[in-house]
Amino acid sequence: MAYEPPVTDYDEIVENCTCAFCGCNCDDLDFLVKDGHVVGVRHACRLGASKVMEDMDQRLLVPMIRDENGELQEVDWDTALDKAAELIAGAVRPIFYGWSETSIETMKHGIRLGELVGAVLDNQATICHGPSLQAVQNVGYPVATLGEIKNRADMIVYTGSNPMNSHPRHLARYTTFPRGWFRQRGRFDRTLVTMDPKYSDTAKMSDIWIGFEQNGDYGFYNAIRAALKGKEIDQDYVSGIPKEVIMELAEKMKNVQFGALYFGLGLTHTLSKQRNIDMAIEMLTDLNEYTKWVLTPMRGHFNVNGFNIFMAYEMGFPYGVDFCRGYQRYMNGETNTIDLLTRKECDVFMVIAADPGAHYPGGAVKHLAEIPVIQVDIHWGPSTEIADVVLPGSFIGVECGGTSYRMDGVPIYMKKAIDKPETCRDDEWIIRELLERVQKIKDEEAALASK
Amino acid sequence: MKTITLTLKKKSQIALEFDELIPDEVFDWEKDDFENYQVPVGNKRFPLTDYFDLEVEGTAEGPEEVKMILEGDCGRVKYIGCKMSAGEIIVNGDADLHCGAEMTGGKITVNGDAESYAGREMKGGELEIMGSTREFCGCSYIGDWRGMSGGKITLHGNAGKQLGECLSGGEIYVKGNCDILAGIHMTKGFIQIDGDVTRWPGGQMKNGNILINGKLGILLEGFVFDKIVKDPEIDGKSFSGKYIKYTGDIALNGKGGLYLNAEKNRELL
Amino acid sequence: MEYILKNGIVYDPANNIAGEKKDVMFKDGKIVDNVSSDAKVLDVTDKIVMPAGIDPHAHVAGPKLVVGRIYRPEDSRKGVTTKTDVCRSESGFSIPSCPATGYRYSRMGYGTVTEAAMPPLEAKHTHEEIMAIPNVDVTPLPLFGNNWFVLQWAKEGKIEEIAAFISSWLKITKGYGIKIVNPCGTEAWGWGGNVHGIDDPAPYFDVTAREVLRALSQANEMLGLPHSIHVHPNDLGHPGNFPTTINTLECVKDIEKSSGMRDQTIHLTHAQFHSYAGTSWRDVESGATEVADYINKNKHVTCDVGQITLDETTTMTADGPMEFDLHQLNGLKWANKDIELETGSGIVPFIYSGKAPVSSFQWAVGLELFLLIKDPWQVCLTTDHPNAGPFIRYPRIISWLMSSERRQEMMDNLEVRVWSYKRTSLGSLDRDYDFNEIATITRAAPAKIYGYQDRGELTPGYNADIAVYDLNPNDIDPIKEPAAIEKAFGNAMYTIKDGQILVKDGEVVKVVPSHTLWTNVNGFEEQEKAVMEQVMPTFNRFYTVKFENYKVHDHFTPYPIVTEVQAGK
Repeated sequence: MAYEPPVTDYDEIVENCTCAFCGCNCDDLDFLVKDGHVVGVRHACRLGASKVMEDMDQRLLVPMIRDENGELQEVDWDTALDKAAELIAGAVRPIFYGWSETSIETMKHGIRLGELVGAVLDNQATICHGPSLQAVQNVGYPVATLGEIKNRADMIVYTGSNPMNSHPRHLARYTTFPRGWFRQRGRFDRTLVTMDPKYSDTAKMSDIWIGFEQNGDYGFYNAIRAALKGKEIDQDYVSGIPKEVIMELAEKMKNVQFGALYFGLGLTHTLSKQRNIDMAIEMLTDLNEYTKWVLTPMRGHFNVNGFNIFMAYEMGFPYGVDFCRGYQRYMNGETNTIDLLTRKECDVFMVIAADPGAHYPGGAVKHLAEIPVIQVDIHWGPSTEIADVVLPGSFIGVECGGTSYRMDGVPIYMKKAIDKPETCRDDEWIIRELLERVQKIKDEEAALASK
Repeated sequence: MKTITLTLKKKSQIALEFDELIPDEVFDWEKDDFENYQVPVGNKRFPLTDYFDLEVEGTAEGPEEVKMILEGDCGRVKYIGCKMSAGEIIVNGDADLHCGAEMTGGKITVNGDAESYAGREMKGGELEIMGSTREFCGCSYIGDWRGMSGGKITLHGNAGKQLGECLSGGEIYVKGNCDILAGIHMTKGFIQIDGDVTRWPGGQMKNGNILINGKLGILLEGFVFDKIVKDPEIDGKSFSGKYIKYTGDIALNGKGGLYLNAEKNRELL
Repeated sequence: MEYILKNGIVYDPANNIAGEKKDVMFKDGKIVDNVSSDAKVLDVTDKIVMPAGIDPHAHVAGPKLVVGRIYRPEDSRKGVTTKTDVCRSESGFSIPSCPATGYRYSRMGYGTVTEAAMPPLEAKHTHEEIMAIPNVDVTPLPLFGNNWFVLQWAKEGKIEEIAAFISSWLKITKGYGIKIVNPCGTEAWGWGGNVHGIDDPAPYFDVTAREVLRALSQANEMLGLPHSIHVHPNDLGHPGNFPTTINTLECVKDIEKSSGMRDQTIHLTHAQFHSYAGTSWRDVESGATEVADYINKNKHVTCDVGQITLDETTTMTADGPMEFDLHQLNGLKWANKDIELETGSGIVPFIYSGKAPVSSFQWAVGLELFLLIKDPWQVCLTTDHPNAGPFIRYPRIISWLMSSERRQEMMDNLEVRVWSYKRTSLGSLDRDYDFNEIATITRAAPAKIYGYQDRGELTPGYNADIAVYDLNPNDIDPIKEPAAIEKAFGNAMYTIKDGQILVKDGEVVKVVPSHTLWTNVNGFEEQEKAVMEQVMPTFNRFYTVKFENYKVHDHFTPYPIVTEVQAGK
């Protein structure tokens, strides 16, 4: 990495901005603004800073519709919105997917639209922490806000997660390094443990690394629980870890003052999926008979948790909510995006602030290429290549304000720092317009039917 | 006795939902009623006759006198026999999600494979599947700790992951092989698997019994060797042969019984 | 728009109207003395007319509600209904979705509910949910009983600092008054512990519940807030806890009340969970007589009951250690949610069953309190929703209170176990509530206790928040017809809110946004400024959000009703 001199040429500083990257939602960012653009970002990690500063890179600026030759053509907003509304109104099995990089305010219109037409509303949890939510639903959810960890924790465990790469400020701002009320010496007052098959960057800086074998998560946590119950482990190695290490680790975890466990997709996406989390949560619960332990999933997008929270308070279920029968239905494997796409059931797909083209399994993307796709986003990406209608939105937390929920559930209002490009619209406006236009079509249909 | 025969003529890519077409609802329907019926498909309803040819013979006073025969590949027909309390449904083909879910009585036979959630939250009756199932056969609704609580599921093929999840009563028989975590979180009931099991049967089980006649891949540490039993009797049923009995899952102070065929699992002796 | 509710039988305890046949008139959303001849007539001849219901303590909006909804899809599934032309689809039994919460309160004739535990750091979340709840105004109470600033100042006896802090924080969080939950105990739960009794200090802070309660009560009266401190005492649910409860009430007895809007200086919430004698669940006995006696003798106390409804429900409270104990007792899935520097909370599903001795006992203790507390202005109807049962059971509780026969029948035919009368005095209590007393414990008393000046009575100038029930009080014997009572109170003939008809014949016919009630203290600006100078260095070091992003911005309360208070007046 070459040395980059600090940015000194700017018009103003906007303080206390919130980072619109990962679930850390760091809200201490200073944006250096020049000529209406963010030219520098202070306090952010490289991931967050580059996202904010390169806001114009491959930016979607004007609405587009794919023509009969398969080329995206620039159109005016009315044409694009009408086309999208027509597709949505006529769909039999529509899915509105994404939402994790937009605001709660936008979701409010989205849910109304979903209720109106009988769509499936789903977010990135369906491909990331869905298994965590399923486990939570089975065995519980002992969480705490990040400040609890900062102020109290003397042991921090990351499992199936590499925050040094994925959530770079997680250790620095919240868990490991900061000085807390009861941890005045910061890092020196804490034991850092990584449990992961991979000797990751986080493992490298940890005090203890437990490299259990791939797909061995469930068996490993089961063995820790057996050890916590006082069982002498039978097998010499469980999931590749010597039994002495397991017994010793169980003892250590029992004897901390306050422990915190963070888990990532390394746990949710191995062989026994949600059951790894299920077991880890139960292990945490067991540990609370001895001392205090909490856990939190390492959520990816800055508002992926927000969508789950929002859907739950509006409709009782966190994601994969199906309104096709006039009421909400939540059934894993049936009402989730990937299942519906790989079964080729979906007939119109709207993606808001997400990139399924980049993240979905091949079968699902293949089906997306065959059906109308409406994209609401700020950047050109693989999803644009399969989109039939493109509606350029604006950047939450930079160009427009909006509410988001941090990975630990703390709500943050992300403020606006600069103006959006003139030709773009706020996500909230776009979805509200779609709602109104679809409502109009539905009203006309109803009027026609009653004649 | 009323026999209702639905013969598939067009398979819908978007699944049909059959929760309203159970013997309890349709026992007094005439042919006209079926012809006028619109079946839920996605967010709309379309005439049932778009998809099926219909035949209705005889009369019924109640659901117990109904026999429904679904001819053809029903791999896109969800909720077959869901919540039924009596009568019989025969599927001559595959069945989609939730076949026999929440049923309390009657019998369903699937002469093919069934998708996930077959027999979910079953309370009574019988579900027989001649082929295989995918995940969560005989499971609970997500979040509920009370799963299938009665009735019997017989599976002639293989079972997918998490068979009998949260089982809290009833019986499940698998003639073929079984994937991971059979009987996870179970609290009561009985699972018998005649084929091989990949790994981790009985994870987090509190009670109930699992008997495996095939070979087990990986056993969980949460299971404690109890004894070798010959010709065990489990829940009033007798079995012949030598079994290694474990108790688990110790992590939950579980009292569940896991019986492994001693011959097939010799290395555990 | 003018209306006249004609020929109803009115129960308006605040105006000493108890079953008088008279008209109630309203215009432009307010109750009025008279209307013009253009007024629309709603014929309610011989039907019960009351002010709209006011729930003084429930958990309806905020972080722990949503954790409940996220992790209990099996509960959400139970209450699912199909959308209608007016209503969105509903979900949930014990933890209804926000729209369902509004519709269901509205159908019971309610107009206001207190959200009894708002963690300041996540206040925005509570307000977001309030925005999603239609038809019923919400009064959020921020949590202060385990706040690190409060704990420190309470230790040092710095009352003015606490008062200034509260004054600021009510503005910052848009809160109405001071909620205290297991003072010091929830902080101890930060380390997996708890405190026992009111003189057991919190670890490290070395301050006791007694000191915290007194300090917050003094601060509350220094500011003259419309509501008193709202207290969930220590030792919730523990056999033998009634002395702790009485000590809690006693410890603020000498503190002088400053607000003329209310009579009490302490509100004891879900008293049922705090009225147990004995030493364990084996030898548990009711302590309701002792707690009721204290309340009968002391006008500085009001309470709500937290009546067990014998349902499968979801318990949720900022009393984190209690919830973990509950999980260990029933083994059902445990959720926990600790909030930095402020509070904690826990959530566990729970099945209260008439087949279980303990549930039957708790059911009886709640009813004992209702029947033993003599002055209905000192006791309110709650289930501590959803803790002791969902709020949709209020009509059933009303039917129990109005019928000693029904209660006896439940004990006789074993709908509840023998502990209900062997371990309590319920079998000997033959009091039957009348409609006026019901109107008091469900509307007039809660309004008085909260110092509301715009609701809870049918006084001209007050909000036209009115409920009409399809019952003729001269024609029905509630003792003999509990089912009819339950049905009528569960399906209001009319629910009128701010002069708009929201429910007709038990159906929601109109949906309106709800208001948020909060308290703005004036005249304490200097002290607030001084205290913020003390707070900010600590805030910046130990919170994980910036202060600018901590506060609840105005757009989170689009329909506020602000109670302006002059400090100390």
